[in-house]
Amino acid sequence: MRGVKRISLDWWAVIAALSAVALIKAGLLPAIGW
Amino acid sequence: MSEAVAVPATPVALPGRLLRLLPGVALLFALGYAGKVTEALLRDYGKSHHVALPQIEYVLWAIVFGLVVANTVGVAQIFKPGVATYDFWLKAGIVLLGSRFLLGDVLQLGRVSLLLVAIELAVAIAIMTVLGRWFRLKPKLISLLAVGSSICGVSAIIAAKGAIEADDDDATFAIAAILALGAFGLFAYPAIGHLLHLSDKAFGLWAGLAVDNTAEAAAAGAIYSDAAGKVAVLTKSTRNAMIGFVVLGYAVYWAARGQAQTVTSKAAFVWQKFPKFVLGFLLVSLLATLHWFSPPQVTSLANLSRWAFLLTFAGVGLKTDFREIKRQGLRPFVVGALAELTITVVTLGLVFGAAAVFQI
Repeated sequence: MRGVKRISLDWWAVIAALSAVALIKAGLLPAIGW
Repeated sequence: MSEAVAVPATPVALPGRLLRLLPGVALLFALGYAGKVTEALLRDYGKSHHVALPQIEYVLWAIVFGLVVANTVGVAQIFKPGVATYDFWLKAGIVLLGSRFLLGDVLQLGRVSLLLVAIELAVAIAIMTVLGRWFRLKPKLISLLAVGSSICGVSAIIAAKGAIEADDDDATFAIAAILALGAFGLFAYPAIGHLLHLSDKAFGLWAGLAVDNTAEAAAAGAIYSDAAGKVAVLTKSTRNAMIGFVVLGYAVYWAARGQAQTVTSKAAFVWQKFPKFVLGFLLVSLLATLHWFSPPQVTSLANLSRWAFLLTFAGVGLKTDFREIKRQGLRPFVVGALAELTITVVTLGLVFGAAAVFQI
């Protein structure tokens, strides 16, 4: 992967969280309990 | 706030890298979940036996279990890459927490936080500089301790270390001092807050202003109450957003003395250091304000945020190794402790002032 710019931890966290948001919004993730 | 994801010296394919994280992430989950179960067991025991047991949140149990493991058997090498992801879970959890904030509340609380953060920054930097000179610490170590205590602990020290070209030893000293004080603050702040009968908002503001690491600030707030935890995260994120400006100030200062590289583009420098998860938090908060989520979806997002924090809090315990801190020597710790004590009192005064003026 030479030449590909490394993504910072902050951006990975944002991408992961927004993916979860999209999945929950689309109903693809079941209701998450606590 | 924006350190790159660790990449091994020899290239390893992505599936392999993710696989290496699994044992540590499983350990974070096991300790965090044990904390959650312990909280429930004690609550149920108290109810069934009609005993008034103190309500100890899962947060504290997760941290204590992590501390016990780290300071007795230690964290085995196989777990270390996964345990280091606690910072990732923290930031993802903060982004998801945006679903529980309406943008109006963020702006209102953010305005108060911003004012208090500005005062806290000036006071913390001044105190740390005066004490560091008094104790004759090395000038760059003073800069690192000032950045660490005024903004966001370890991440800020790492960012500043590169910018001002400080020695590895100085950075290790500063990180050890900030971590030791953070561990102490975790237990001390909630106890003091209860003694002073602080409201959830007031305590959250105080924890966000005074506790150095974001994970510890979130944990101290959550130990106090769920509502205090939310306010602590918001206030601490406001403080984190200042990292670029403060580190830039120090970089310019040391470059002017010929002891660091000149910063060519100041705007690019500030953007590079800016904590991007704050933008994610604001975006999710905006979507919640626009009622883009149904109430059950908001509940799911909030619960997912709590699961992410569960892993974070276990990681806070696991990364605190008192033997390592002891090895770093006493002087930077004493300077840090004296400065933190003063910052604690000053920020408490600020919170009481804000409570009177803004009716929080």
